[in-house]
Amino acid sequence: MNFRDWNEQQDLTQFLHHEARLLDEHRWDEWQKLFTPDGLYWVPLVHGQVDHLNHASLFCEDALLRSMRARRLEQARAYSQQPPTRTVHVLGNIALESRDDDAVCTVRSTFLLLEWRKTEQRTFGGSVRHTLRRADDGWRIQTKRIDLVNCDAPHEALQVFL
Amino acid sequence: MNSVIPIIPIAATDPIDIQSLVQPDRVHKRVYTDPAIFELEMDRVFGQAWIYIGHESQVPKPGDYFTTRLGREPVVMVRHTDGQVHVMFNRCPHKGAKLVPDGSGSAGKFLRCLYHGWTFKCDGSLLSVPLRSGYECTALDLKDPQYGVRKVARVATHRGFVFASLSEDGPELKEFLGGVATSLDNFCDRAPEGEVEVAGGVQRVVQRNNWKIFFENLHDTIHAVATHESSWRAAKEEHESMPAGTPKPFEVVIVDGNGEPLEFWEKLELKGYDHGHGFMEGIFVPPTDPVSLAYVASLEAAKGAERADEILRVNRHNTIVYPSCSPHTSFQQIRVIRPLSVDRTLVEIFSFRLKGAPEATFQRTLKYTNIVNAPSSNVMSDDLEAYNRVQEGLGSDGGDWVSMHRAAGRDQPLPGGRASNGNSEMPSRNMFAAWAGYMGVDTGVETNEQTGSAE
Repeated sequence: MNFRDWNEQQDLTQFLHHEARLLDEHRWDEWQKLFTPDGLYWVPLVHGQVDHLNHASLFCEDALLRSMRARRLEQARAYSQQPPTRTVHVLGNIALESRDDDAVCTVRSTFLLLEWRKTEQRTFGGSVRHTLRRADDGWRIQTKRIDLVNCDAPHEALQVFL
Repeated sequence: MNSVIPIIPIAATDPIDIQSLVQPDRVHKRVYTDPAIFELEMDRVFGQAWIYIGHESQVPKPGDYFTTRLGREPVVMVRHTDGQVHVMFNRCPHKGAKLVPDGSGSAGKFLRCLYHGWTFKCDGSLLSVPLRSGYECTALDLKDPQYGVRKVARVATHRGFVFASLSEDGPELKEFLGGVATSLDNFCDRAPEGEVEVAGGVQRVVQRNNWKIFFENLHDTIHAVATHESSWRAAKEEHESMPAGTPKPFEVVIVDGNGEPLEFWEKLELKGYDHGHGFMEGIFVPPTDPVSLAYVASLEAAKGAERADEILRVNRHNTIVYPSCSPHTSFQQIRVIRPLSVDRTLVEIFSFRLKGAPEATFQRTLKYTNIVNAPSSNVMSDDLEAYNRVQEGLGSDGGDWVSMHRAAGRDQPLPGGRASNGNSEMPSRNMFAAWAGYMGVDTGVETNEQTGSAE
């Protein structure tokens, strides 16, 4: 599906870039406010996973769990954040996947995430589906689904939001 | 030492004097850091003990397979056409290729090697080879069992949990499990239909630590308040930010429990059994939210109130089935511990559905898996950091010994084991007594045969 026009494309692209920047700058409170009250942050465990209730996930976090993670990352004694994780997101291939009506749309993008902590650099990559809902002052995330290329690999700790 | 595990004598040329590395209440750092000791463990511990392979529900139909590792050996669990589950080496007897790909799936009616098409029944026996005439008048006898897929020495099942041993000798599975068989029994008894099945995918976590460090942590209660401060504080703050009187959500309960003071843990009872096993009596007060109450009702409907109460009264946190897995009976998961190298360990987390229980019960199991065991766990990330710092510290010249002194000498005898208060390092000493037995040395820790407390 094509973007309606350049303005719509700019609007949604800038939203995704802004979201990525909030994550890279550890602005967790601002990031959480991007979600609708019942919004879901979901990273499936297996390729093509359709269910987050009857199948385990890498992340499956509602507002409570997102907030709990953000609070933990800021604790002085979060030992596994000594030093804190640093990330940089690179987004691409931003495309409009569907538009229910003027208020709801799904945007697909791909990403590469460079992560550094302690002594090691890791790379994650995959595709993201944002289901967005329009609010008075901009878009809100209804669902952010991240399909990692290596979702079903054995992983070391994943601490920050992808 | 009067162990039921056969002792393999250490050759006089053995460069590792293991006897000098283990004492009743402390061990030398080298047992966690020396690659040569890791190799010996693969032979002597993982080569002798009963090792958890998987659950029968992972291979529901004939031809279904599931691959895993038994120590350093790649093995496959397959269900035969007669319904029996076999565990064999994942290796074709012809040229050695792995017979089935890593993972799980269905092999169909036969196992057929990809390389030259040798075909085997699902019990591993040779069915056919191509160009049969080419083997006439040769030494290759197609009826000779050595040309079937080699089976592991022993396979046995307890309530659907499949264990295998690479050793022909040693105790039967039931005797090996001893007091922790009751944890596996309770795991299944909690299902209204009395059976469980693996479901919902498997999570895999790679840890940068020796496998024994992970096992020791399973019953190390006093690290919780220190190591997990970041997550239990975050959970408590989350609850405090809710309107006054809000009941604690399940997500908060399973995280903030680690913040209990040391006096709380001291009152819990730890039990250790022969062969290194043990369990901790439950931390969690059985929850009374609607999901839990609906589950209890389903159990009562199936088994009657009295029996249901008896089953739910068995309230255990992690159980240790040394040296391969840790079932959690209250939240229906098994963590399988696969040593990769002296400083790398893979932990695989399998979730189980209680047959006959409401779907919401299984969804809660997965919630526990996601929050506590996933690689993204807020709780476990600090554990992993601690294990890694231990592993790195043990590699230094800053000291040679690891202390396991806490509450030594205060154990109470149990049939087939010993009990201690919740803050004791008894579980670590108990595991090292078993480890030393497998490795062929005497730590001086009394066995139950010596104390006369065995049944």
